[in-house]
Amino acid sequence: MKKKLGFLLALFVVIGFILTACGDEESTADNGSDGETYEIKWYTVGTPQPDTEKVFEEVNDYIKDKINATVKMTQIDWGDWDQKSQVMINSGEPFDIIFTNGTNYIQNAQKGAFVAIDDMLDEEGKELKEEINPTLLEGIKVDGKIYGVPSNKEAARQTVYSFNKRLVDKYDFDLSKVKRLEDLEPMLKVIKENEPNITPMATFNAYLPYDYIFNNEMPFAIPFEGNTDEVINHFESDLTMETYKTMHQYFNAGYLKQDAATSKDSWPMDVENWFVRMGDTQPYADLVWSRAAKYEIVSVPAEQPVTINDSVSGAIQAISTTSDNPEKAMEFLNLLNTDPYLRNLVDKGIEDVHYTKNEDDVIEDLPARIERYNVPTYSLGNHFILYLYENDPKDKWEKFQEFNDSAMEAPTLGFHFNSDPIRTELAAITNISNEFYPALATGSVDPEEYLPKFNKKLKEAGLDKVIQEIQSQFDEWKATE
Amino acid sequence: MKTMGKKYRDPQRLHPVVNIIVTVLLGILAIACIFPFIYVVIISLTSEQSIVKNGFQLIPEAWSSDAYQYLWSMRGQLFRSYGVSIFVTVVGTAISVLMITFYAYAISRPQFQYRRFFTMLAFFTMLFSGGLVPMYIVVTQFLELKDTVWALILPLTMNAFYIIIMRTFFMKSVSESILESARIDGASEWRIFFQIIFPLSLPGIATIALFSTLGYWNDWFQALLYINDPNLVPLQSLLMKIEANLEFMRENMDVANMQQSLFSTIPQESAKMAMVVIATLPIAVSYPFFQKYFISGLTIGGVKE
Repeated sequence: MKKKLGFLLALFVVIGFILTACGDEESTADNGSDGETYEIKWYTVGTPQPDTEKVFEEVNDYIKDKINATVKMTQIDWGDWDQKSQVMINSGEPFDIIFTNGTNYIQNAQKGAFVAIDDMLDEEGKELKEEINPTLLEGIKVDGKIYGVPSNKEAARQTVYSFNKRLVDKYDFDLSKVKRLEDLEPMLKVIKENEPNITPMATFNAYLPYDYIFNNEMPFAIPFEGNTDEVINHFESDLTMETYKTMHQYFNAGYLKQDAATSKDSWPMDVENWFVRMGDTQPYADLVWSRAAKYEIVSVPAEQPVTINDSVSGAIQAISTTSDNPEKAMEFLNLLNTDPYLRNLVDKGIEDVHYTKNEDDVIEDLPARIERYNVPTYSLGNHFILYLYENDPKDKWEKFQEFNDSAMEAPTLGFHFNSDPIRTELAAITNISNEFYPALATGSVDPEEYLPKFNKKLKEAGLDKVIQEIQSQFDEWKATE
Repeated sequence: MKTMGKKYRDPQRLHPVVNIIVTVLLGILAIACIFPFIYVVIISLTSEQSIVKNGFQLIPEAWSSDAYQYLWSMRGQLFRSYGVSIFVTVVGTAISVLMITFYAYAISRPQFQYRRFFTMLAFFTMLFSGGLVPMYIVVTQFLELKDTVWALILPLTMNAFYIIIMRTFFMKSVSESILESARIDGASEWRIFFQIIFPLSLPGIATIALFSTLGYWNDWFQALLYINDPNLVPLQSLLMKIEANLEFMRENMDVANMQQSLFSTIPQESAKMAMVVIATLPIAVSYPFFQKYFISGLTIGGVKE
């Protein structure tokens, strides 16, 4: 009996110790909201850089006077990002600002991981709200609220066919004629016959002009033009059949690699072994690509610029609900997106250490920027206040503005489907899509035979039920708009 | 006798035909085991152009030591990670073996009143686990181990399965009468443990030590979760990062093409393989030292009496 009592006592002591330990932590964390300088913990994506600390000393010197706060930025490597950020959010770890994008952003916002910033955008983030493209802010609304600050950059997507310019010039092709996949045929033929070392088409999935509810693999879409109220299975349309037939014809002619459906080859641009590929563009993308590839690349649009959910949520800095001081975090984001000095300091590093600047505010990287402070521009914030490089066109940001203004709004922009009611069906459909889509979209199999098979399987897996659910949520959302 | 050798063979020896078949079979198995590693070594010595052009080849078109030169150029991080890996493995294994044997010894002794409770406690964790998020909360928010080397060591120290193995081992191989005689001679519990139990159980201990060593050396997941500081990234995690970054690049071609300079530092195929070689070498080299114990340790599960 005595021994048992002693054991219980020991157990209580241990439990008590643990409880007091975490109690302590909470009470200390509460400090710092008033008077004292608050340290903002900021997690963002990218390979950790050796000079981050050095740059952020400068940042802190600068912002301490302005908003009485300091920032500690921690980068998480590209490949680790998804898993690590998810665990951090799910565990309720205390931090202030975190990078997020796409479906992760929507799911976490719906889960309540991020602070809705609508009210703060009228107070702490006033300047920021004026600066950022309203389409972006409108587009990232989840259930009517804004849950983060989008990077102010291109807000639309435009898919293009990109060509190897050397070969275009060599055979004197007329690119202005290229509008659709079918128009590529004569060129592909010439390349196939005359260039044994070049694969005519770098593997890509045939482009279809639909606004996808999930992504291009899943059979739920709304056409960009025509009836934009009705959710359909776009794999049943004649257009899809035609496009896939063309792709199959190309495949049979040997314009694509034979392992197109399964290959993971990313076709790096700096290897010149392709003639045409597909990609998403932004103003002056050809310049960037050509610079990266070290030979010239020229693009032709496959679609008009269109603002879709994916294109507006490409890069967002969200404030965590575990933040002790969301207002301070907002003040910092406001400053970051409106103050050119701060924005460039965070993006390019310290002047004369990481880059040099001439009188016209045109900059040039020093080796230290590539080696010691190489951070991803797109994820961090407003692009329109960044310094230009010497080889950047002077009107770069004006062109971005034009690009954004010219874009058409997709029918589902701002609509986020809640998949909880039909989870089982969706899982089955995902499996079927994974099986059929890569083979069909790369033309590896005959669509006359496989497309009906694909659709039949989808029907059996409960396609109609899911479409109905999406339709009813979509109608409901439309009514509130 | 010799003339009759054909008919009355030594019954201990295999029939020559069987011998040949078994030798060939085991030979194939051995080659199947070692071949991937030899292939990795070959790829690491292949020139990058040759890989791009012809894919992986057994006898490459052009040899090159570029990959190792690349690794030499990032030797700062590499040596650092090597150091972290070695420290974590050595200290981790030592702590792990001590904790597991202490625990297992205690619950193996009939004098210990709560041994059933503690056996159940260990066994329970084999059936049910808290999962990733609670684990993460405990490590980062209660223990505050984030970005410390202990985050790589402590989560892996205890392993219920090894505890059960060791408990069985102690119960089967250390007879109570030896301990009784030690007690009669006036030995304290510590002395009994370190001077009698420990030497007697060396095969078992060496087995779990080897498992732990492999576990620590090959672990990258703890680093993925708890380490942000590049100075604390162990070798396997460095390798995983490179692989994961390549995967990210493949899936996000648009980001990758727009931000070319960001990804230009990610190494190519041959460099990846060279890293595998460098990361595997120490374990391959240390294995023979454990092997002796390992073989005798493997019979732990078998009935002895």
